[in-house]
Amino acid sequence: MLFELIGILQRCTQLNIIGLADSDVESNLRGAGIGMSVQEARSIAEVLGRDPTITELFCYDAMWSEHCSYKSSRATLKEFMPTDGPNVVMGPVEDSGIVAIDDKWCVVISHESHNHPSQILPNEGAATGIGGIVRDVNCMGATVVATADPLRFGDPYGPKASKVRWVAEGVVDGIWQYGNALGVPNIGGDIVFNESFDDNCLVNVVSLGIVRRDQIIRSRAPPAAGEGGYDVILIGKPTDASGLGGVTFASEALREEDEETNRGAVQIPDPFLKNVLFKANDDLFRLVREESVEIGFKDLGGGGFTCAASEMGAAGGFGMEINLDDMHKAGDFPPEVLSIAETQERFLIISPVHLREKILKIYNEDWDLPNVYEGARASVVGKINSGNRFVVRHKGEIVCDVPIQHLTGGIRYQREERPRTFNLVEPETQEAADYNAVLLKILKSPNIASREHVYRYYDTEVMGNTVIRPGEADAGLIAPVRGEKFGVAMSVDSNPFYGRISPYWGGATAVAEAMRNVAAIGATPSTITDCLNYGNPEKPEAFWEFREGVKGLSDSCKQIWLKGYENQPVPIVSGNVSFYNESPQGSVDPSPVIACVGIIKDIGKAITQELKAAGDRLYLIGPRFDELGGSEYYRTIFNTTGANVPIVRFDLERRMIYAVIDAIDEGLLASAHDISNGGLACTAMEMALVRPAKFGLDLELDNAADAGMRTDKLLFSESSGFVLEARPGREGRLVDLLRSYDLEPMEIGKVSRKRRIVMKRAGVTVADLDLDEARLAWTSGLVEAMR
Amino acid sequence: MKIAVVQFPGTNCEYETLVAVKAVGMDGEIFRWNRSAGELSSFDGYFIPGGFSYQDRVRAGAIASKEPVMQALTEEAAKGKPIIGICNGFQILVEAGLLPGTGKVEMALAQNVMVSNGKIVRRGYYCDWINLRHEAPPRRCSGSFLMERGSLFKIPIAHGEGNLVTSTPKLIEMLNDEEQVVFRYCDKNGRVINEFPVNVNGSTESIAGICNPEGNVLGMMPHPERAFFAWQLPAFDPRKQRPDEPGPGRSVFESVKRYIEVNA
Amino acid sequence: MSQKINLRVWLKIPDAEAATVKNTLVRRMGFGDVLYDVLKERLFSIEVDSGDPQELAKGFAKELVNENKESYKVLIDELRFEDEYVPVLVSLKIEDGEAISTQERLRGRLGFTSVVNVKKATIWKLYLHGVDRVARAKEIAEGLLINPHKDAYEILGE
Repeated sequence: MLFELIGILQRCTQLNIIGLADSDVESNLRGAGIGMSVQEARSIAEVLGRDPTITELFCYDAMWSEHCSYKSSRATLKEFMPTDGPNVVMGPVEDSGIVAIDDKWCVVISHESHNHPSQILPNEGAATGIGGIVRDVNCMGATVVATADPLRFGDPYGPKASKVRWVAEGVVDGIWQYGNALGVPNIGGDIVFNESFDDNCLVNVVSLGIVRRDQIIRSRAPPAAGEGGYDVILIGKPTDASGLGGVTFASEALREEDEETNRGAVQIPDPFLKNVLFKANDDLFRLVREESVEIGFKDLGGGGFTCAASEMGAAGGFGMEINLDDMHKAGDFPPEVLSIAETQERFLIISPVHLREKILKIYNEDWDLPNVYEGARASVVGKINSGNRFVVRHKGEIVCDVPIQHLTGGIRYQREERPRTFNLVEPETQEAADYNAVLLKILKSPNIASREHVYRYYDTEVMGNTVIRPGEADAGLIAPVRGEKFGVAMSVDSNPFYGRISPYWGGATAVAEAMRNVAAIGATPSTITDCLNYGNPEKPEAFWEFREGVKGLSDSCKQIWLKGYENQPVPIVSGNVSFYNESPQGSVDPSPVIACVGIIKDIGKAITQELKAAGDRLYLIGPRFDELGGSEYYRTIFNTTGANVPIVRFDLERRMIYAVIDAIDEGLLASAHDISNGGLACTAMEMALVRPAKFGLDLELDNAADAGMRTDKLLFSESSGFVLEARPGREGRLVDLLRSYDLEPMEIGKVSRKRRIVMKRAGVTVADLDLDEARLAWTSGLVEAMR
Repeated sequence: MKIAVVQFPGTNCEYETLVAVKAVGMDGEIFRWNRSAGELSSFDGYFIPGGFSYQDRVRAGAIASKEPVMQALTEEAAKGKPIIGICNGFQILVEAGLLPGTGKVEMALAQNVMVSNGKIVRRGYYCDWINLRHEAPPRRCSGSFLMERGSLFKIPIAHGEGNLVTSTPKLIEMLNDEEQVVFRYCDKNGRVINEFPVNVNGSTESIAGICNPEGNVLGMMPHPERAFFAWQLPAFDPRKQRPDEPGPGRSVFESVKRYIEVNA
Repeated sequence: MSQKINLRVWLKIPDAEAATVKNTLVRRMGFGDVLYDVLKERLFSIEVDSGDPQELAKGFAKELVNENKESYKVLIDELRFEDEYVPVLVSLKIEDGEAISTQERLRGRLGFTSVVNVKKATIWKLYLHGVDRVARAKEIAEGLLINPHKDAYEILGE
């Protein structure tokens, strides 16, 4: 038998490794288009006891890529990240994490990056990002209910402005063209422009789903699969060569001269087919419930068929046999292409044989896939067995026969870390003479200006669940289950300017701000996800930045606590690591992009950020510190970065977040907005400028800081905090509540009927702006930056 | 009373539309495009919901309008049964010749063009809450049967092709004369201003919805199913503070129900 | 001296839109006996007032053609099509916003200042049997490919 097998193997193409010098192995690998190291190739040959086939090497190359195997990051993530908690239903083990809302319902969340493809082909890259993430959520048996896109683009006024704008425009188009057609509302996201993204944009995407706890579907071969010889069923688009090597490409730095070749690695997404597939999947989930059987279900993403199939088999502890001839495909492709191409809009089912005909009927007849998209269908492509090999046949030959756990186990690298050192100094600045001009300039800055120009392209309303939409508050809110009062909030955050000064505080502040954002509408932070965007981990400085970021964001989760559970971290249930965000010109600023999901028990209590009534009193919580490092003020007015980055005072942060949540729950607040970019000044102004922009501000800043603090520092320090508008008559109770959390509420003025933004300190008028002039600056900044 | 919510591949508002149908006390089900079209005759009314049927291939609504279910709906329309096309549903009804109702394609819902002060300020897809004015008299049209003339509605739009254009001479005049213009975009005080952002997509005379001469078939670009509950309203609307109350879009569904009761 | 650069652009991967059009024409509109295939191209007609048209065409293609999934062909001051199908050119007769944006992008952001006009169209390539191919192509154009209130069509090479 063994002899026979070797005989067959020799007939298909093998790559010579054993016995060759490193340089020859290297040239053989590159000649075949395989990116793995010589060392990695040798270790595979050793385990197999022979030279691997081309298909085997391609499969290993995909599975052991940074993208699929987390080979550089896994140890660090394990070391620092809190992933468990009383509300965790499933941590970061499968495609998405799951946390409980109540005894019955759960939120499913996934967070990914699609950075490299979006830099090369912005439209397809961004669209595929959404396409992939919603499959990750759907395959847990969930209904996909929301997406959000944190975006980072280069400097729209810098030397690469035209390319930057081309990327930004294409990405936004890709997001709306895909997301709107799919029919999932976009309820959040953010955009930051900064020159470190000139050659490497970041396109992250977060997706939320909703599922009943007793209806979760796992991405693994179910326990009975081995003995039962369960079917492996591939559904969706016919496999083609698109996205070939996508994961390998995502795991390398971008060079401009490779752009043409890299274009081939970008996948072609199809929201229309996805829309129909999701509905068919709902019927599959229903069938499984009716028949009370367990199936395995997984989407095909990075690493294509091989990744999905082998991971599901390995997770169940089984082997499998696949026949590529039974796969529906768009043409005659070699086996390595069929194995790892990243053709979009596909899922894999592992199911008992007796359900086969019913499952095929759902996809091929009821939802008529072959007539919806040429060549799309469901096909039985293999069988699970109780062995431990991943065996693939093609045209009668065995093209792959490897130990399945070895293939999926990946490898680990202990990367070296070394602090990046550079000279940071606080600038000597002159206080501005004309605050009106400074405020207008900052309001118009591309990083402060209203995001309305972009989010009007997004369908924020489809599904009819949207309670708070982009622009209305610090977080989006949906009511995903009709008849239930609870709402699910989401916010995203990461400030690259802070990360540049301190990758640790960049990570910590991102988590704290994302939590403040959901708290500002009255929701309780329930889970965090992260997409960790860094440079090349093989460079010690980049790897250090990554580790610092993970430490920082983990510390915030551990120190701020899950509300109601002392000393219990807010769990991180899903995430993604994106390395190699660099070009020969340098790497991106450390960008641990954080999403925070919050739960509110009654959507009727949620509040937004626009001022509600003239005469209402405004309170500041969170003392101002001299923390303008990385601030909008330093950057826009003095063109400098500074050194004093905002830090997270964990205990204070926790008390502020809890107090705001409780105040909203008690109905004490009319509006709330958290302090971040642009400091107290921008936070307060935004509350006046956001629609309906009916009221002005009369701010008296004497209580906001000691008299010794310069007014510009008071206004523009980005130390964390909130501006709160009290409901009339509830001021006393609000102050008591804040004090019970050991916070010192600072009364900073009133909502005014006059359409002016007035700021006074020690009796002197600091600024007096016309509301409409301010609004014009604020609403035009992004339009001009993206023109 | 049974309503079919017609689903094409690419439709994406059928579930919330069905929720709204049921919430006003009608029975309803989703009717998949490849079901036998003859079964449609057993329903009392129809919604063609929004989305991207056939991915807007060729142009929005063109492919779906040739499907057998649309042939069947044309026959049901002739019997006076109500058919409400929302967003993509409106586009399909236009392409199928059911609106304005001569059996021919008399107009197009073209790409949005946002014009302000004589300049094009934006194009393409747009999603926002806007204001509508009901233009027809009460009982003129199935989907606005219970609405007073001049009543105002806050409601969301989300489309890239809602700009009503026509080269049919005097079509607009006829629509006005025959009171087939059911909704126009307006400002919060009910003024029709033929400029962005009040006229949100460049539509001729700010027309947002029309009916056929008989009044039983209505097409509208805005989404009443997304404005069905007060909690769905934008933050700055005072009704948001009373989340359990009905939203402005509910009256479309109640109108259809009443229309069916009256005509039964 | 002004020259017209025509870029014919088509998908290398299966064209789902063309497949749907064929499906509808055959299954729903009774063209099954005469129509045996439908393909589609995008056409950009870019008028320039100076410069080497072949070189310019390469620059335009870099912006307008998605080489990940598309191929293209350049024709200067002429528009020829193969004989085996009837080419139906469909363009907007109302203002074409996308063409205007393309022109602005080429001139402004990308610095192709010699561009004086951009027109966009879709070429439907109808593979038809029989003698009255042009008449059938017209039926197809009017029955499905255009909405006469916003689109115009032209049978090329007629």
